[in-house]
Parts: sequence; C-alpha cells; structure tokens
Amino acid sequence: MSREYVHPAPVRVWHWINAFAFILLVITGVQIRFAEMINFLSLEDSIRLHNWVGFIVIADYALWYIYYFSTGKIRLYYPNLRTFAADALKQAKYYGCGIFKGEPNPHHMTADNKFNAMQQKAYVGLMFIFLPAQIISGIFLWQVKGFENYIDMLGGIRIVDTIHVLLFYFFAAFMIAHTYLATLGHTPLAHFKAMFTGYEEDH
Amino acid sequence: MEKIKPLLITAMATSIAFLACIWTATTALAINNELCMECHGDDSLTRTDSTGMKDTLYVDLEKFKYSVHNVNGIGCTDCHADIAKLDMDAEVPHSVNLATVNCGSCHDEVTKAYANSVHKKASHKGVDIPCYACHDYHDTARLAMATVSERQNSFCRKCHNPNKFHEWLPAKENHFAMVECTVCHAPEVPRHVNLRFFDLVDSTFLKGDVIMRHLGTNKEDFFKLIDKDGDTSLSQQEFEDLVLMLRQKEIRGVFHGELVAEINPIVHQVNRGEANRDCSQCHSVTSAFFQDVRLTLDMEDGSVSSYNVDRQVLQTYFVTFNALGTTRVRLLDKIGIALIAGGIAVVLIHLSARLLTIPLRRKKKINHPDA
Repeated sequence: MSREYVHPAPVRVWHWINAFAFILLVITGVQIRFAEMINFLSLEDSIRLHNWVGFIVIADYALWYIYYFSTGKIRLYYPNLRTFAADALKQAKYYGCGIFKGEPNPHHMTADNKFNAMQQKAYVGLMFIFLPAQIISGIFLWQVKGFENYIDMLGGIRIVDTIHVLLFYFFAAFMIAHTYLATLGHTPLAHFKAMFTGYEEDH
Repeated sequence: MEKIKPLLITAMATSIAFLACIWTATTALAINNELCMECHGDDSLTRTDSTGMKDTLYVDLEKFKYSVHNVNGIGCTDCHADIAKLDMDAEVPHSVNLATVNCGSCHDEVTKAYANSVHKKASHKGVDIPCYACHDYHDTARLAMATVSERQNSFCRKCHNPNKFHEWLPAKENHFAMVECTVCHAPEVPRHVNLRFFDLVDSTFLKGDVIMRHLGTNKEDFFKLIDKDGDTSLSQQEFEDLVLMLRQKEIRGVFHGELVAEINPIVHQVNRGEANRDCSQCHSVTSAFFQDVRLTLDMEDGSVSSYNVDRQVLQTYFVTFNALGTTRVRLLDKIGIALIAGGIAVVLIHLSARLLTIPLRRKKKINHPDA
C-alpha cells in the first residue's frame, strides 16, 4: 500500500467549507421555498442565514479559484481531449460493471492526475458553469431591485428564480451522488479520510 | 274665466320663478369654477397669514381638472361650502376668513377610520395632520390605477423614510417597490394583486382600450371574450389564452404585478404595531394576501376596468410578480423531485448491486490473491 498526498490543505479547507455551506443552503433553501409546509426555522432567519452562507460560498469559491489558478493546478480539471471520450467510457464501464466484479479502477489517482475522465467532465461543468450561475443568480435574488437591469436582461425575475431553483435541485441531487461515489474507495471511508488527511491510499 | 285668470298668472309666475331658480343654480354651478379661477388662476396670488408668512392662493387648474373631485363633478364651492355668493365688485369677492374645508362632511367613514389612527392620535402631541397633508389641496389623485411607487411617493414617503425602519427586512427595496405600505401597516384593509399589462416592445403599460382594439372587442364584450367559461373569473388557462391572443396580434409583454391596498376608508386606520415580522404570513402559497388577484386596465377615458383572476396565474411565467414561496412555479418542484429521486434511486440500485456482488469479489480475491 502506498500513500500519495493529493489533497493539499487549501483544497481540503475549500472542500469542507463548501460541503457544510451547501448543506446549510439546501436546508434554508427548502425552508424558504416551502414555508407553508416546513417550519424548523423562521423564514426571516432562513433568508438571513441563506444570504450569509451564500456569501461564504462565494468567498470559498474565490479561495478555490485563486489557489488553482495561481498554482497552475487548474490543469487537473482540463480533460485530455484526445483520450477523454475513451477514458470516460472506460470509467463508466468500471462503475457500471467492473466494480462489481472486483476489477481494478482504470484511473490511478495521483497528485498530478487527480480526477478520472468522468469527474473531470462533471467538475468542469460544476465549477465553471453551474456554481458561477448559481452564485450570480443568488446575488441577483438577494438584491432584486439593485440588479433590476441585469435581471431584465436575463428575461426577468422569474427566469433568474428558475435558474436558481433548478440548480438548487441539481446540487441537492449532486450531493447525494457525490457522497455515495466517495464510498467507492478501497474501503467505504477511504476517500472521506483522505479529504481530511490529504493522503490517498493506493492499493 | 275671470276667476281662472289670476290662477293662470300665478301658475305662470311660479313656473318662471322656478325655472329661473334652476337656471340660476345651473349657471352658478357651471361658472362657479371659472369665476373662482379668475383670481385663483393667478400664480402670484398670495395672502399673508397672522404670523407674517405668505401663503399661496393659486390653484393649478390643469391639476385640478384631473383630480378625483373634479372628475366626479365636485366644484370649488362644494368643498368651500361657506362661500354662498361672490361679490365680484369687492376687492375680495368672498370672506377672507373661510372655514377649513370639512372633508368629513362627505367622507364620514374615512373620518371615523382616521380618528383611530396613529396620525390623528399625534394631535395629542400637538401635531395636526389634516387630510390635505397627504392628499394635497386640489390635485387629490385618483388611486385605483396608481402604482405602488406613486401611492407611496404621494403619501407615506412624504414624511417617512422606509429605509430607516426596515433594516431587518430582506430585499427591502424590492418590498418597497412591489408592496404598498398600508398592506402591512393597515392590515385590516382588503388588498389585492394588481396585474397590469406591460408591453415589452414599447416598454410601456398598455391602456385597456389599446388592448381591446387589438383584440377587436370593446369594454362591454372584452371579458366575455376572455372568460370563456363565464364564471366571472379568469382561470390560469383563460389567462394564458389571453396572452396567446395578444401574441397572435404581435403584442408581446408580461403582466406586472403589485400588491396594493383597496381604495377603502379603513386604509386610513394606520397604527403602530399593526405590521409584524412574520414573513411566512405572505411568503407561502396559502397566504391570504394573494387571494384576490385582478387584471386591471386603465382606460383612456380615465375609468378603470378590473377583472378577477385566479391566483394560480401568479405562478406562471407571464406574471413578473415574484414573492418567494408564494408564486413558486410548481413544475420546477416536480423536476427537482425527479432529479433527487433519480439520484437516490441510482445510488440505491448501485449500492444493492455492490452488496449482492460481495461474494463474487471475495471469491475472486481468494482465487487471485494478487489481483
């Protein structure tokens, strides 16, 4: 068994802040949207908390952005265009079939090649499209009057609200899948442990 | 015949006197405002009050013309009722010490509601807030079609700066723009959501007459045309059909919604502590604040036509009124539930397959310990 340092401290800090913030955003988001059905927090407190946590996510995103771009590690997210399709297919076959037969994971995680092809695809979409879209729509909904002109440019408040809500459901579903996929290490808790220690164990 | 003659003369004289009275009265009413304006139309007309301050006595006829009083045929001496006659030869044709206009002589219910308001109670502290402090003297506005911003700027915001007292309120500017102050601060008053058609091409609110002309109908038949089931309320389907009909006539727009108070005397009963900070009383799909939704059309003749609309239209993309929770689009929740349920299902299926295939992997490990 070898150990490799694949999750540097800034990444771990970013990840866990993001994880807890997302959980809070989902909880408060559900309370805001379904106030007549759910009552574990007052609407006023939910909105206030949702806004504050939203800003924490923005600051956290800035941490991620600065770290990955300043160190050049952002390359981890770039798919290799020549091998990407074949790698993604191989990875999908592993998750859909090989994993049950005890076949080895076709992707070998190293500090320079952290994500498999499917993760790269998912995370590029998440970090460069979905999360920024959620942040921007969230800021617009936070100060509707102040961003009136931009909101109108996007087609009105209802469209911005729709984007924010659909992404909210998407992120909620993503968190379920992400947590489950994290149990697919050599032991169910291996990846969770690695996200605290920084070291992934390779078997 | 001799006996009848005096009777005839008396009857004729009485009739002439009666007709003369009617004619005089009619003429007096007809010229009354014009006579007043001979002096009060002069914008330099002032008087000096007991403290030496100059008061303007000018009345802007253009503004008065469109006031709710003039539109309803109320003339100068209907309010300034102590002017019985004008002596046009005198320097001032009427008494210089006219009584204060008593709005309550017509608006008695308003007076009762106002008596029980924080504004009237302020008179105990020596602050007198007469009707005209809010409603102005002569250009008393018609409010049925007034926007939230017009209503607030004409009334509450003259004295109150809402930014000072609503720090706690999330998206406060949005609330100020979409919700009339009295909806929260005079909660007894009935309220409704006013929907007005905003033409996105011309960036303007379309007059009701223009909409009706485009649809080839008139004020009498308009509602019959759009309320297909004749239940006196527009359902979501009928509302969407109206949007479609307008699009077919190349009119593209959205319905701009605002939550306003009814033009009702009780709106004057504003008191401290009436508004509360329970956001969920508005922000839920079952909120009573959104029971009454109306399509409101401002007609060219100054009248207003208002039609009942099902509150479900607030949850469509044709209405810009957005209140968290209250106007949520249900389809998004169905998509969201499908996404989350799909995610959970995939996880459960995969997990089950993993658990069921444990013996297979264990066997493989025993047979190929180095694999």
